[in-house]
Amino acid sequence: MSRPSPVRVVGGLATGVVAFVLLRGVLGVAGGAGAALGVAALAAWRFPRAALVRVLWSLPLFLLLVFVSVQLMFRVPGDPFASEKLADKAVLERQRDLYGIPAKSFAGGCEFYGAYLRRLVVDGEMGPCLKVQGRSVKEVLLPALPVSVSLGLCALTIACGLGLFLGVRAGLRPNTFRDYSSMGFAIVGVSLPSFVIGSLLILVFALGRPFDWFPAAGWGSVSRLVLPSVALALPYAAYIARLARSGTVEVMGQDFVRTARAKGLTEREVVLKHALRGAIVPVVSFLGPAAAGIVTGSFVIETLFGIPGMGQWFVRGAVNRDYYVVLGTVLLESGIVILFNLLVDLALPWIDPRLRGRS
Amino acid sequence: MYRTLLGLFAAFAGALVVVAATLSAYTPAPRADFVFVNGSEPQSLDPHRMKGQIEGRLADALFEGLTRKDPGTFEPVPAVAASWDVSPDGRTWTFHLRPDARWSDGDPVTAHDFAWSWRRLQEPATASEYSAVLHVVRHARALNKYGAQVAALRGDAAGKDGDAREGVIRRFDALLRAHPAGVPFRAWTEFVTDDRNALRDQVAGTAESALVAPLSRTSGDLTPAEGEAVLAALGREAERRAAALALARAHFGVDQGAFARDERTFVVELDALAPYFLELTSFYVTFPVHRKTVDRYGLDWFREGRLVGNGPFLLASWQVNEKIGLVRNPTYWGASEVSLRTVDVLPYDNQTTALNLYLMGDVDWLPGIYPPDLIDQLSRRPDFHANPGMIVYFYRLNTTREFLRDVRVRRALAKAIDREAIVRDLTRKGEIPTTTVVPPGVPDYASPSNDLAYDPAAARRLFAEAGYGPQGKPFPRFTIVFNTSEGHKKIAEFVADQWKKVLGIEVQANNKEWQALLADVAKLEYDVERAGWIGDYRDPKTFLDMWTTGDGNNETGWSDALFDRLVGLASDAGSLASWTPAQVDELVVACREGDRMRALLAAQRDAADAAARMEATLAVRLQLFREAEARLLIDGVPIIPFYFYVNTGLVQPDVEGIRYWGTKDGARVPNLQDEHPLRDVSTARSRGSRP
Amino acid sequence: MLLLVVLSCALLPLLLGLDERRQDTVARDQAPNASHWFGTDGLGRDYGARVLVGGRASLLVGLVGTLVCVLIGTVYGAVAGYYGGRVDDAMMRVVDFLYGIPYMFLVILIMLTMSDEDRNSPTAVFAALGLVQWLTMARIVRGQVLSLRHEEYVLAARVMGARDLRIIFRHVLPNCIGPIVVYGTLQVAAVILLESFLSYLGLGLQLSWGNLVADANVVNPVESRWWLLAFPCAFLGTTLLSLNFLGDGLRDAFDPKTRR
Repeated sequence: MSRPSPVRVVGGLATGVVAFVLLRGVLGVAGGAGAALGVAALAAWRFPRAALVRVLWSLPLFLLLVFVSVQLMFRVPGDPFASEKLADKAVLERQRDLYGIPAKSFAGGCEFYGAYLRRLVVDGEMGPCLKVQGRSVKEVLLPALPVSVSLGLCALTIACGLGLFLGVRAGLRPNTFRDYSSMGFAIVGVSLPSFVIGSLLILVFALGRPFDWFPAAGWGSVSRLVLPSVALALPYAAYIARLARSGTVEVMGQDFVRTARAKGLTEREVVLKHALRGAIVPVVSFLGPAAAGIVTGSFVIETLFGIPGMGQWFVRGAVNRDYYVVLGTVLLESGIVILFNLLVDLALPWIDPRLRGRS
Repeated sequence: MYRTLLGLFAAFAGALVVVAATLSAYTPAPRADFVFVNGSEPQSLDPHRMKGQIEGRLADALFEGLTRKDPGTFEPVPAVAASWDVSPDGRTWTFHLRPDARWSDGDPVTAHDFAWSWRRLQEPATASEYSAVLHVVRHARALNKYGAQVAALRGDAAGKDGDAREGVIRRFDALLRAHPAGVPFRAWTEFVTDDRNALRDQVAGTAESALVAPLSRTSGDLTPAEGEAVLAALGREAERRAAALALARAHFGVDQGAFARDERTFVVELDALAPYFLELTSFYVTFPVHRKTVDRYGLDWFREGRLVGNGPFLLASWQVNEKIGLVRNPTYWGASEVSLRTVDVLPYDNQTTALNLYLMGDVDWLPGIYPPDLIDQLSRRPDFHANPGMIVYFYRLNTTREFLRDVRVRRALAKAIDREAIVRDLTRKGEIPTTTVVPPGVPDYASPSNDLAYDPAAARRLFAEAGYGPQGKPFPRFTIVFNTSEGHKKIAEFVADQWKKVLGIEVQANNKEWQALLADVAKLEYDVERAGWIGDYRDPKTFLDMWTTGDGNNETGWSDALFDRLVGLASDAGSLASWTPAQVDELVVACREGDRMRALLAAQRDAADAAARMEATLAVRLQLFREAEARLLIDGVPIIPFYFYVNTGLVQPDVEGIRYWGTKDGARVPNLQDEHPLRDVSTARSRGSRP
Repeated sequence: MLLLVVLSCALLPLLLGLDERRQDTVARDQAPNASHWFGTDGLGRDYGARVLVGGRASLLVGLVGTLVCVLIGTVYGAVAGYYGGRVDDAMMRVVDFLYGIPYMFLVILIMLTMSDEDRNSPTAVFAALGLVQWLTMARIVRGQVLSLRHEEYVLAARVMGARDLRIIFRHVLPNCIGPIVVYGTLQVAAVILLESFLSYLGLGLQLSWGNLVADANVVNPVESRWWLLAFPCAFLGTTLLSLNFLGDGLRDAFDPKTRR
């Protein structure tokens, strides 16, 4: 389907490299290399060009990002082994040696950066956890990822469903009770912080005031998924509802809608064919970063509901100066952001015909 | 558009089905016999690399030391050691191990395990943060610290990066040559406090008077002669430490210090009298670790599936941020005394979550993890327990700040705080307000009284004497820093308000991120800081030796030669018996309670036999600490003590063995150190199931 | 209505002689009553005064912070979207990059570069909040602009020889005003609440709505000092509500599509 071009070949190779680094931890060196070759071929052959370009961009981006993050971490005061009861200087130094953390200076940062990259690419390892010793970063982040993704998907579904429904409904009848009630919902959704929403949900639906339908905290069953997903979804639903409403109002005022109505399309068809399309462009643009945020977890929701997800590591890593964890989360976060933004960019022209004329 | 939407929803629906399917495939384990919230993931499960209560609770379950704490009296009782003898001078302890103590892989627990473990604890390569509590054992300090000190003094032949590092001695030599007419005081101070030199650390505990005097002087240049003396003393000190290190390496754990006389006999020799030593043998730092496992797996030997322990429980599972699962250890010698079959340890740190789970009955014990604001309601519950603890809450004053240099100012600040109001209106758990740092409950010790109690008028007077106040100079605006916490914030705002009301000064109460705060305090870049200190054992030493000059936890810039001397003498109180009358006189003059000190020293000297001498020496030791605490809080005041914490917890009514109060000799005694070994806990669930 | 909130925060404490710092531990934790309309907090300070005074800082941070992030995000997103292609690619990769930077370290660094004296000046807070808040804005605007840049009126303007900047500001941006206003107004609340996260790091303001809400740990089964949460949230909600009406008005004024 495609002509061979340098972008395709190099992009395919780069995708292969990314696949190798990602997969070798799971499949071993040989398996990882094999799988990576397959991915590279598939990528060069079938992937959309935009995706390949994105992969090409992201490689130097990752290198730079890790470098900047390391230097940032090393400039910020604090020590992963410091505590209120300070140990001897010699002991602290020895601990830093044990875990390969050089002195905090620019040169030390460069040294750490080099060692980290080597570890990442050559060994496929992301270093040890300093605050939960005995584990590697990979071992703590890998089990947390599916947890956050499941929770995030549920929340995203609720947020999109609820948000689009309320937003479009309000947009179709601006300045009516429907509109105001959706606006009221949105205002409550964003002006109550998520820990308050979460605590309220627990109080009402778990602690038996008046319902005791769900467990108060924990992970590992469908019933434990409900309250945190709702709490996580509400603020996002509020944003989506407002964005969708304004998009709908705009579209409904446009000529082609009038034309469609004049053509005798039913109201349902008008809404589904045209109103939604207008509503969805800003929502989808918002969804890229928002979904990345949802899927990488939320510290507040996770600690409140006792969920072993990713969000905790973002905050704990930084709070504890757990350098390897921080870098692990940086890589994951930016990988997911890049992926979701790519998906959005691929989806936009598909959704909005006006974008297809591009390049 | 239909297609788009349908596709979108199909994708979502598909994903949700997958999520639901994976989750329902995951069968939740049945509720454990006992569930408690631990407050955080443990940083390590290696007893030699632990610090803190969170790890300690797990260590007590997975390992067992020579002794353990009796759940009724909180005193050490036999554990791996079936019995022990102590020599008449109190300095040689012989532990007789029980024959049926086993590791979880079936190996017997022998005296060699302890000898190897105690040596591992002191080996610098282990990087134990708590090794210092056993430095009282012969050779331990030398093995643990002298290597690094000698290297720092003499310089490494080849440093970490292959380049030779010059040592303190060479650098001091250079300093001396640069100032042939004598080293100016400023240059000397800079040299001493320079991070590379950390001179006080390197020669801590030295007996070289040529070093001690210049190190503690507060003014005056170093004459060329003094300089040469310091140089020579540094050389001698390095020599002495190198020799001690060689001895320690050859003998510690082999035939001296802490060693195995035979399979079942473990001998510990102490350098000085340490009344708290027996208590330490139930503290996780002194627990044995399984040599084969450690040798095989190295740094990460304590993961599930690897860890071999000798405690009442085994590590069954460890899902990070979810739970740690423990099961009863069948190879434990006292397995029949252990009631709980399974224990779940939840790492949650969200206080509201913990309380919710407790109120729903999903959790059996909350060791103090609940929103502190709810104390009024919670403390009325019958399942709420509290007892006085061994933690002191205090403010550090940075005595290197110009405006905090005058002790009258520091005293005025201390006297302007209404501690009663703080515990009555703010913290409300029944904390004990205090103006001293050693908590009540330390055996045979009574803190000396001081005049730091709340007295606004006296505070104003002191402030005026120091030249501040309405008629004096304006006092600079300064800041109280604390780590982010609702409780600390309330107290800091209250104190700031009181200082404003009483002394008329403007004070800010600012929170700061924890790590940044620690870094600032270590560099003395703060004015006033909130702090807390947990005692490791029931002895004044654990609350006082941190204030000596150069101690990493002093962090106030306060340095007092007499205080250092008193604490140093207390650690070696036995040597005072052989003092000359002149030496005794000199010490007595420096003491506040000189007559008492003289009488105690006389009793020590005239003791009839070894046992009586030991008794007398213990009394001298405590009196020295008492003098030191007086020096700290009457003459120095680098800190303002507020109150002693209480240990609190919520315990479900069916739980037995989590005791906040016990009885000893007919009297009610508090569980000072908040230790609740799971070994002795039972619940309705675990009891009901027993045959 | 917005004016009402702003004015009451600015003036009421002065007019009523309220002092947000005066402590009276005897009168702590009181529910709303005649002498303290909004109740008191744990140190016996008048909660009404605290909510109003906290509002000053919060409104300032929320409004100015959002304004700054809207300005940067809009211009950045519009430029990227308008030129498209390589320019867009490069500019959006910068955004991706900034998303990845460990935010907390950046914030702590800002906190350290701005000295302690500046703690109460909101500049540091603006800087810390502005760093990430404009990114999503930029992506939304860019998505809109991408879909508009091939519209006839843009082409027409281009054919007529208008300069790019003029086209962006005169023709493209007014047509994106809807999402900008919607996102911007909601952002005010997000920024005000995010500020409490900064104070968790020791950078936030001393007294603000975000702070009050974060400290009010009242939603639990044991007790309810509801006023600690209700009043700051109510003020925040009211502000947001009025901003929404203001936003709708703004859009009606600027958006050519809704200009009838």
